Amino acid sequence: MTTYYLEYLKLKKKLRSWLGPIIVFILIMVAYPLTVEFLEKDLEKGFYSLLWISILLSMMFSTEDIFLEDFNDGTLEQIIISSSSFPFMIAKKIFIYWIMIGLPISALSFLFSLGITKDLNLSLFVIFLAMISSYIFLNLFVFGSALSLNKGSVLGALITMPIALPVLIVLGKSIIALQFGINYLELLLLLLGCLSIIISTVPFIVSYVIKAHLE
Amino acid sequence: MNTKSLIEAENIAYKINENKLFHNLSFSVNKGEALHISGPNGSGKSTLIRIILGITKQTKGTLTHNESNNISYLGHKNALKNYLTVSDNLILLGLNSHEKLNNFLEELALKKYLDVTVANLSFGQQKKLALLRIFLNKSNVIVLDEPFVGLDTYTQNIVESFLINEINLGKALIYTSHINCNIDSKILNLK
Repeated sequence: MTTYYLEYLKLKKKLRSWLGPIIVFILIMVAYPLTVEFLEKDLEKGFYSLLWISILLSMMFSTEDIFLEDFNDGTLEQIIISSSSFPFMIAKKIFIYWIMIGLPISALSFLFSLGITKDLNLSLFVIFLAMISSYIFLNLFVFGSALSLNKGSVLGALITMPIALPVLIVLGKSIIALQFGINYLELLLLLLGCLSIIISTVPFIVSYVIKAHLE
Repeated sequence: MNTKSLIEAENIAYKINENKLFHNLSFSVNKGEALHISGPNGSGKSTLIRIILGITKQTKGTLTHNESNNISYLGHKNALKNYLTVSDNLILLGLNSHEKLNNFLEELALKKYLDVTVANLSFGQQKKLALLRIFLNKSNVIVLDEPFVGLDTYTQNIVESFLINEINLGKALIYTSHINCNIDSKILNLK
């Protein structure tokens, strides 16, 4: 519990790191209706594609410097020589980032979805999808961020982006399935399966990558 | 391995791109002993420290740690968060509720800076804050890379006295330093 609190304390003080991605998300979502015709039925057409892409981009921005500061100030070295498990420390860090950034974005997704579609059932489904997808994207970009730890965050994002594309496809299909009354449960389970694999593997891979950087 | 040895190295070598930094280094550090790693700039002192800590892997040889080893380390990087206050950093280091914290804060003249962000402290004050990690941690091996850099004579004496006392209590100390100090140590010279 202490580690969670300490990570929360660090992130809370870095306003740019957690509030920045949320503001980017809000700006994209607010800008969307301004760039298309002011007809509600038109707004619905591209809304969900834009929503998933906005979540993807926000998660990418949020992981920009997730390890850089700890790498530069020597905190990562201290964690490695301490007796605590490095992969678990990474998993906890990702979780706190999700709580501070992914969760508010998921809640906002619900509000924007409700505002655009006026469909409560669909919007409740969207919040669930947003929670899963934001955690998946966060883990993937954390991996990218670790890969390009001292080489600039853009490189890591570029490497990771193709891995995130199948998730975007499944997200799009899930919404279509729900809108047309097709069985969407299989797609939801597929996303949950991806999430469980990613949660259990990414911290270990990332810890290995960071150790290689420090060496 | 010697039963008293906390760390034992046999014929360890490290090379970067075929250039040997050092080779065939053998040493051991026992309880209540200090090892001073000396040598000119670029001789591999910090690299050897990182090998001892297990961060960097040696190219050749073996390095054995006693199973019960608990290491506290301070290197060139202070592991402090510049945007947080001194007291927030103490929370991050897990030292905020330590019974001896107040004594050390007073001794190192840091008490009045508790609400100051670390970025606004001088280099020496930041070093003193980072040294609290060494002063207040329960470890049996202390590893320090240039611990006296940036410290005034008064603070250097405090650090020296603390380290001598810890060695007398049975802890092991491994350090590098270009500044002369009065710690009775074995010397490992990297040429």
